[in-house]
Amino acid sequence: MTESMIHIEQMTKVFYTDEIETHALSGIHLTINRGEYVAMSGPSGCGKSTLLSIIGLLDTPTGGQYTLNGREVANLNFADRSRIRNQEIGFIFQSFNLIGDLTVAENVELPLTYRAGMPSAERKRRVQESLERVNMAHRMRHYPAQLSGGQQQRVAVARALAGSPSILLADEPTGNLDSKNGEAVMKLLQELHDEGATICMVTHDPRFAAHAERQIHLFDGKVVAEGELSGLLAEVEG
Amino acid sequence: MGRIIQDVRYALRQLRKAPGFTLTAILTLALGIGANAAIFTLVHAVLLRNLPVVDPKALVRVGDTDDCCDIEGTPDHNDYSLFSYDLYLHLKANAPEFEQLAAVQAGLGNGSLTTRISKPGALSKALSGEYVSGNFFQTLGLQPLIGRLIQPSDDVHGAPMVAVMSYRTWQREYAQDPSVVGSTFALNTHSVTIIGVTPSGFYGDRMTDVPPDFYLPINLEPVMGQSSILHQQNLNWVYVIGRIKPGTQLGPLQARMSGNLRQFLSTLDLYKKADQQKNLTESHLVLSPGGAGIENMQQSYASGLKLLMAISALVLLIACANIANLVLVRGMARRAETSVRMALGAQRRRVIQQMLTESVVLSCLGGIAGLVVAYMGTRTLLALAFPNSPNLPITPDPSPVVMGFAFGLSLLTGLVFGVAPAWVTSHSEPAEALGGSNRSTRDHSSLLQRSLVVLQAALSLVLLVGAGLLSKSLNKLEHQHFGLQTKNRVIIHISPENAGYKVGQLQALYDQIEQRFHALPGVERVALSLYTPMESGSWGEAVAIQGRPEAGPNVSVGSMFVRVGPEFFDIVGQHVLRGRGITAQDTAASPPIAVVNQAFVKKFFTNGEDPLRKHFGTFGVKSSNDFEIVGVVNDAKYDNTRRPSRAMHFRPLLQPTPTFDPGDGRSLYAGAIMLQTKGQIEGLESQARKILASIDPNLPVVNFTTFDDQIAGQFGQERLIARLTLIFGVLALALASIGLYGVTAYTVAHRTSEIGIRMALGAARGSVVGMVLREAMLQAGLGLAIGIPVALLCARFVKSRLYGVESHDLSILTFAIFTLAVSACVAGWIPARRAASTDPMNALRTE
Amino acid sequence: MIELKNLERSYKTGATETWVLRRINLMIREGEFVTVMGPSGAGKSSLLNILAMLDDQWKGEFYFDGDAVHGLNRKQRAQLARMRIGMVFQSYHLLDELTVAENIDLPLSYKDIPKAQRQSLVADTLDRFNIVGKKDLYPSQLSGGQQQLVGIARAVIHKPALLLADEPTGNLHSAQAKEIMEMFRKLNEEGTTIVQVTHSEVNAEYGSRTIELRDGWLSKDTAGMAAHGVSA
Repeated sequence: MTESMIHIEQMTKVFYTDEIETHALSGIHLTINRGEYVAMSGPSGCGKSTLLSIIGLLDTPTGGQYTLNGREVANLNFADRSRIRNQEIGFIFQSFNLIGDLTVAENVELPLTYRAGMPSAERKRRVQESLERVNMAHRMRHYPAQLSGGQQQRVAVARALAGSPSILLADEPTGNLDSKNGEAVMKLLQELHDEGATICMVTHDPRFAAHAERQIHLFDGKVVAEGELSGLLAEVEG
Repeated sequence: MGRIIQDVRYALRQLRKAPGFTLTAILTLALGIGANAAIFTLVHAVLLRNLPVVDPKALVRVGDTDDCCDIEGTPDHNDYSLFSYDLYLHLKANAPEFEQLAAVQAGLGNGSLTTRISKPGALSKALSGEYVSGNFFQTLGLQPLIGRLIQPSDDVHGAPMVAVMSYRTWQREYAQDPSVVGSTFALNTHSVTIIGVTPSGFYGDRMTDVPPDFYLPINLEPVMGQSSILHQQNLNWVYVIGRIKPGTQLGPLQARMSGNLRQFLSTLDLYKKADQQKNLTESHLVLSPGGAGIENMQQSYASGLKLLMAISALVLLIACANIANLVLVRGMARRAETSVRMALGAQRRRVIQQMLTESVVLSCLGGIAGLVVAYMGTRTLLALAFPNSPNLPITPDPSPVVMGFAFGLSLLTGLVFGVAPAWVTSHSEPAEALGGSNRSTRDHSSLLQRSLVVLQAALSLVLLVGAGLLSKSLNKLEHQHFGLQTKNRVIIHISPENAGYKVGQLQALYDQIEQRFHALPGVERVALSLYTPMESGSWGEAVAIQGRPEAGPNVSVGSMFVRVGPEFFDIVGQHVLRGRGITAQDTAASPPIAVVNQAFVKKFFTNGEDPLRKHFGTFGVKSSNDFEIVGVVNDAKYDNTRRPSRAMHFRPLLQPTPTFDPGDGRSLYAGAIMLQTKGQIEGLESQARKILASIDPNLPVVNFTTFDDQIAGQFGQERLIARLTLIFGVLALALASIGLYGVTAYTVAHRTSEIGIRMALGAARGSVVGMVLREAMLQAGLGLAIGIPVALLCARFVKSRLYGVESHDLSILTFAIFTLAVSACVAGWIPARRAASTDPMNALRTE
Repeated sequence: MIELKNLERSYKTGATETWVLRRINLMIREGEFVTVMGPSGAGKSSLLNILAMLDDQWKGEFYFDGDAVHGLNRKQRAQLARMRIGMVFQSYHLLDELTVAENIDLPLSYKDIPKAQRQSLVADTLDRFNIVGKKDLYPSQLSGGQQQLVGIARAVIHKPALLLADEPTGNLHSAQAKEIMEMFRKLNEEGTTIVQVTHSEVNAEYGSRTIELRDGWLSKDTAGMAAHGVSA
């Protein structure tokens, strides 16, 4: 069962600010299979966050092809991209990005309310389930500000899970957490993976990257092999 | 549907969670919309309302000016709006295009009718009556509430004497007693049968604070008074209004009627003089819409109300700019949240819809608050606009049209300014706002916001300058030198003519009045007079000095004229500068004399001639020996508060004019008693009533007032406009300050990291405060730079309303600038302080 | 040059107190090039903020060039920092509305330096960093590496004794990063004491000494001179 969930070919991304052209991605090839747990790492500025944004349909590539769950998505319109984002992708951000004016339960329910035609009872059931899954069901009626960072990230994970996405995308999920809470979140991701979730995580911390089945290294906008990376680093130093 | 309810619930919670924003926005909307709705209600009620009659649009008035009330000689610009009764009959007979053409008495006044219901023990009351032609009610198409209305057959010499009572009077004075109809009233001591009551909504042929209590056939006029003017062809005293036949062209009709007018005028002595031929050929009349009746009040208030409308529209503009700013700030502040929602798969339409829901909910709340303000504002406004006018036929309830307009306006404001940030936010790539790419995008909305604040500052400066000018002008008007003493002076208006006195009986009546009031403890002086200073209305005559040739048609020979008792000059505070004043020895039998004021001397004795012992008359050269000038008094203002005192002559109460003058008889009836008291006297009004009733039960008090109040009454409209402009100016300033505060606070929040960097690089707190404040002041300064020339330009529009103030008054401009600058300082200082307390560490962490 | 004795820093959120720095003892000599490493949340940036005197909420002793910082008030600390310390940030923190020259001038504008002298200092610095041609450009018109070069120029224009850098190459490509690190090496050779925070082993190699933080404890020091804290 090695069905490809994400398939990227020859992807480029160029940022233009006035006369300056910045090549954030220069020809990425990448495949992530269903059920895989992939960690993307590399030094700051290597393009890993940009790549994750594009995988999550938050940003559009300048060139290349991108197939998500068997569907070409690089050139979809805004509305379709919103719909796919809603149905296929669960986000976990470094700074949690919970909405302060909504309760824990409402935050988790949010992606479901953007899904046309889901009955209220079904939404409530899913919210309950995902909050129980991350052990936060008892804080349902609280507001994010009343929770610690680790708890907020668990709620964010529950929000990502609620929509039963095809893939979980995590951008430095432990970046704003101390090591103990960081470990807890990593353990949660590990468990989700064991239960069959497809996960793609960006981190620059090698200890956390080691949790994944497969590690992808990015350097100056390209995917490089592990050995190659140390060579390159050595070259830079030299 | 459920989604909309959910959005509304969420919007309400969002608003509750940001009470500062919500309150400011609602208050801004409420004040902006409420003020406009209130003003518009007033405008609607005063300027746009038609008479409550059948098909008011078919009514046409013959004439277009507010000339009043009985005028001899040629009108301004030879434009006839006021006619003699015979002239009216002539016009009517030659205008078959009118289905009906009616005449109404021009000069109404409180106390023009002394009335007493014929029941034992009933007291007489001073009420108002209006003479109307017999077809008046047919012209308007009115049906009686009960009884019947006046018909042409009632308006015939020798017909049974009848009158119609107004609904308000029937309700107010006689508790809607149906037996009033058919009963006999003593009107000016004559027995008159009340034949009916007008419909309840009808308030007469014009808007006035003394609507008629009784309508009388115009042919009763010679019976009711002591000296009739009905058939005096040289005296113009009726307005003419008619119902036009369908399809009539007004242009040709107006030309033909003007021809008829000239034909009639050419038969008058006045126009037979050779030097009046030019005036005769230029004489004309203008047909104007009559749907609102005689529009005297509309004409006197139109420019003031339009000014207020313009001012309130400015306030609305400022309020809208404020709302726009607030919503923009809020929308931008919530970009991050919106981006999270979009990352979670929200469709653009959904995001916009939700933000719009919030705007609409906010607008609705603001609109409702605006309606409350409008409702209360209209009441206050009416009280302010027409104090002491309980009988004015204007209701303070805003009409549904106005309410709908106000509510719609607030909704529109919310929608328009809600869409913009919703649109901007939802069209950005979510990754940008999430900080996925570390590139900062320039903030385009801030330029818009700053421009809005600059606009607000400029507009509020304009309003402040306007308010300052009008307030200063009012102050100058009220505290000008009138040449009068007003403290502890009381005026009691009476009408001996209505009480049925003959000329021969007057001396005894006046003596009795003077004696009885002198006997009151605390009363120091008593004087009767034809009228008193500053009571709106005066008498004027053409003066002919003895020994001089007749003046040409373009030489001004007018002088105001008043008959006064011996102690009058002392009471009103006019000093005899030369010769003597008027004494008790100046009776009907003694040689006719006159006292003149300084302006009279200046006007008629230009080359230093001594006016004393000179003679003059008021009925042409042949009368120039009539009166001898025996004294000169200092100038005082009698009729116009803005113009300098005019030439004026004073005559004893009862000395007749030696040369026959048909109007002379009426001037013998004193209209007022003036008292000078020692301090305030408790219950003076009721004592006065008792004294007059004991002298003659048909001599009621028409009006009782202090001299101060009578003068203050002259500034009603000025006060209304000055106060409202001031209120609006302060409102505008407050709104602009809130706007500046909002933008500065938003900028500070937005620049947290920049300020943090500056502080990390060594900027001291003071320099941060200075930097933020400087930017706030820059916007205020730009606003001033734009506002000052605009304010100076706009001040020219109110120039005609100003008294004793130049439209470019420097002190007011300085004060307005200073006020705005201080407000801007405060509005900028608060967020500047907050900026200075930024913790650089936290600020840098927000990367 | 810098001596920290039993330095502690904690955040209070409600009833819980979170420790970010625990009993730090550290001595940095003049002319050293120190790298601070450690995982996210270990307290690296907190330490840097304290050294920059941006943070006041710590306990313990802090001597800077013989001055007892813990005995100074807020204003005196700010004064000291303004004269002696320069800072370089990961995301450059240049002000978007100011030109390159104006950005570089910024620290001088907060001191009492005559305008003529400021202008010559700015000109010298532009020269030294080879960015004279870019002096009238705005930050958005520069590449990341150029922006960071301006950031460093701004940090050293007033010739600080201590230069602090927080992930200075974090947002840069490797070639640009290399250029920046060379610049640091040059500044260090000219006598500036440097403390940098980085994740990059490559960057750490430029330094003369590496210390490592872990959950607020000083866990490793290549100079071997700081006492180890009691292990958690």
